[in-house]
Amino acid sequence: MALSASDIRSALSLPQSTPAPAHHRKTHPSTTKKPDGISRELYSLIGPSAPSLAAHLAKPRLRQKPNLGGGGTVKWEHRPFGNSARSDTLQLFHWVKLSDPIGDYPFAKYNVQPQSYTYSQDEYSRLLEDSEWTKEETDYLFSIVQEYDLRWYVIHDRYNFPDGPIRAIEDLKDRYYSVCRKLIRNRPCAGDESSRSQLLNSYQFDKEREKMRKNYVASLEDRTPEEIAEEEALFVELKRLEQNERKFRKERDDLLRTLLGADSGLPDIVVEEDGPAALSIEGIRKKKKGGPDFDLPPTPSNIIQLGPPVSKRPPPPKSAVYDAQHCIVRVDPPAGSSNTTKVTHVPAHLRSFKLPVPKATIAPKVAQALAELGITYSRLVMPTRDNCSQLESLLDATTALIETKKIVDRVEQDIRVLKARLGIRESESADRDPKESTPMDVDESKQDRDGEGEGRAQSVIRGRKQLCRSISVSSIDTSASLPTRTGTKRQKRG
Amino acid sequence: MVNYGGDEVSALVVDMGSSSVRAGYAGDDTPKAIVSSYYGYRPTAGDSDVQMGDTAGESNPEAPKPRSDAKLYLGQHGPSIWRAGMEIGHPFRDGLMSDFNPIPALISHALVDSANRERMAEIMFEEFQVPAFYIANTGVLNAFAAGKGSALVVDVGHSMASITPVVDGFVLRKGLVYSALPKLVHAHAKHILANPTPVRRGIELYPHQLIATKISRGLLVSLRYTRIGSPEPRIAGGHGMKTAEVDEWIQSVASVLDQGWNEQAAASRPPRQYEFPTGYNMYFGAERFQVGEQFFHHSPQLVAQNPNLPKNIPALLSESLRACDPDLRQVLMGNVVLTGGGSLFAGFADRLETELSRNIPHVKIHAPGNPMERRYGGWLGGSILASLGTFHQLWISREEWQEYGKAIVGQRCK
Repeated sequence: MALSASDIRSALSLPQSTPAPAHHRKTHPSTTKKPDGISRELYSLIGPSAPSLAAHLAKPRLRQKPNLGGGGTVKWEHRPFGNSARSDTLQLFHWVKLSDPIGDYPFAKYNVQPQSYTYSQDEYSRLLEDSEWTKEETDYLFSIVQEYDLRWYVIHDRYNFPDGPIRAIEDLKDRYYSVCRKLIRNRPCAGDESSRSQLLNSYQFDKEREKMRKNYVASLEDRTPEEIAEEEALFVELKRLEQNERKFRKERDDLLRTLLGADSGLPDIVVEEDGPAALSIEGIRKKKKGGPDFDLPPTPSNIIQLGPPVSKRPPPPKSAVYDAQHCIVRVDPPAGSSNTTKVTHVPAHLRSFKLPVPKATIAPKVAQALAELGITYSRLVMPTRDNCSQLESLLDATTALIETKKIVDRVEQDIRVLKARLGIRESESADRDPKESTPMDVDESKQDRDGEGEGRAQSVIRGRKQLCRSISVSSIDTSASLPTRTGTKRQKRG
Repeated sequence: MVNYGGDEVSALVVDMGSSSVRAGYAGDDTPKAIVSSYYGYRPTAGDSDVQMGDTAGESNPEAPKPRSDAKLYLGQHGPSIWRAGMEIGHPFRDGLMSDFNPIPALISHALVDSANRERMAEIMFEEFQVPAFYIANTGVLNAFAAGKGSALVVDVGHSMASITPVVDGFVLRKGLVYSALPKLVHAHAKHILANPTPVRRGIELYPHQLIATKISRGLLVSLRYTRIGSPEPRIAGGHGMKTAEVDEWIQSVASVLDQGWNEQAAASRPPRQYEFPTGYNMYFGAERFQVGEQFFHHSPQLVAQNPNLPKNIPALLSESLRACDPDLRQVLMGNVVLTGGGSLFAGFADRLETELSRNIPHVKIHAPGNPMERRYGGWLGGSILASLGTFHQLWISREEWQEYGKAIVGQRCK
């Protein structure tokens, strides 16, 4: 900021030291530079020194209005139009943009007529004779079908052939579609055979089935509230039974696994809860595979169908050769399991995905033992078949080692306990004499009352004895309970 | 424009009901003119030839000029103003528009029989010189107004209740049922009001126009009022001034319980006050619920007394559904459209829902909350239909009318 002496003078209303023209000359350019949106008075107060403030005070600009439609006003015209969907020359008026071309009426294209069949007298007498339908009524049917664009409910509603029998909607449909089918079959077709059969399929109508279905629908509506409630209760019951069935199956699998161990062939994966839909699909698939299997007692559910075990089917020799050639190794499906459920299925997998893993309970110990030996087992650099089996044997050995170590530890512990018990026995036999003379205590208490000073020293000694006795008692208690406790432990382990 | 399928040709839409005629331009959401269907006239001994009067001419009937000929009083202020010696008539007749060119007209009509529709077409083409004409069923238009192609339209009007099954924009004529139920409700209400009860005497139903002075002294006090004009206005065709008073009472007081008739429930509802033009002032309690009950339930003794009682709504519904295909019933019950001014009766929609869901599992009722949409649903549907671009091929043009004659009406307006 260039604060000149004259400015200060003028602010302090001091007399001018410099001539006035100089002042004029100075202020003049500043007024010309006055930015927009700021009043002249304010600008002359703040001067050109606060451009940022001036920018803030600039007149706010409104958001630019969207410029719709290339500028200028749009001219509209009240224009007459014809409709090519009409057979007459009706002229209606509507407003359109002047720029819009005069063309065909845009909505005329929605006037779509369905394909319809007509037949000649010759065709009728050759093909379409029917004892229930006269030619006149068939003609009437075709005209009304055409008129109402195959809206069958409306056709049935408006169907009124004079002196004709009362027709059900299925009768009308059946007659119409059967006539169409006959015409398609007996006329030369433009397309090939497949397109003709496709066309025939689209005119398929099974009258009896439709009638039965309609009867079912009607009977559904005639149900009383009690029947509806009963039906719902039955449905809930069915759901419950299905659930029970799943539970039962799961438990049976568990039981088999427990009884047969690894031989059961059932995987250790927990059976996931399948929805009834999944089960039924599975059931269908199994039904396709073959008849029931007799190895296992059949389950009461009709959903679970046991298919023949895949393992019993020997692989075709050609594929064996092929396998050998391409180093394909097939994993034997779990032997003894004939239950090909979803969980027992072993899909193709990478070998490294199925690396043997120690049991979770002893995994840290295995890791520790191997770490002591300087082996990291969690990652195989090259999981070939040999390496995998070696790793497996290594883990087996380590597991065995740890098991052995455990047993050794336990035996040592038992020995220690027994030794301790032996020591207690010996100490007990040493203590036996004072233990038997319990009446002395009473005497001692008497002595206490007699002589205070001496009694104190005695009581200290007696206190020690009692302490010792109490320890021995407790040790006896523990020795009595200890074998049973270890016994239970063993039972659990076994 | 093509996006929503609209193409407005400024068609005129007229919806005729028994209490009012609605007219307006297609594409609008409310009718431009709502005119009473009643008309007043002064019979003269000699000349029965009737001069058509237009609404503009009759809009200042406060000072009726003496006329020698029979004079029609039409329009908003026509029949509702009392004039000495005026009778009230009720034709289906329109004398409102004189120049239809180039405006096509869509008429909404409850009538199905072809003779009436052909006569209507004749009037429109020959008398009003419309360039094109179409006549649509009110039920279908009501379904369109609700945005549905297939629906079961429950239309409770001023004098008729109808149930129309609509499939793909076509009326299933076998399932179409009518009854004069609103008239019965009206008669019942009139009976309740006019007959004395233990707590009050019968109420005199004079319209405001006949009351010169009155002194209201609160509830149930003997009234003092004077009437103008000695003779009661004659009532033609069962409609008259008393009718309007009963209607007024029904609209402001009467209601229906939403869970079926129950003395305790009716007694527990708060009573509602109403003052009649005579100054008679009264709280109506359970009585006001009895009125609406006539829509849904007829007491056995009432049925025994008059054998040709109009059917109530549940009876109409089951009759209509029985005539429909079993496949359709579920579709229709999922698209019940409640419409008509009479359906604005307090509690009607709730009660209908209760009645329906008692028997049928999946019921969905479409009842517009906006009273205008409910009352003028037929007109609104016509407005929608006539502003559709695809509709313009359906008009019966003057050319076609001249070529094919009356038969074209039945052919085109299916």
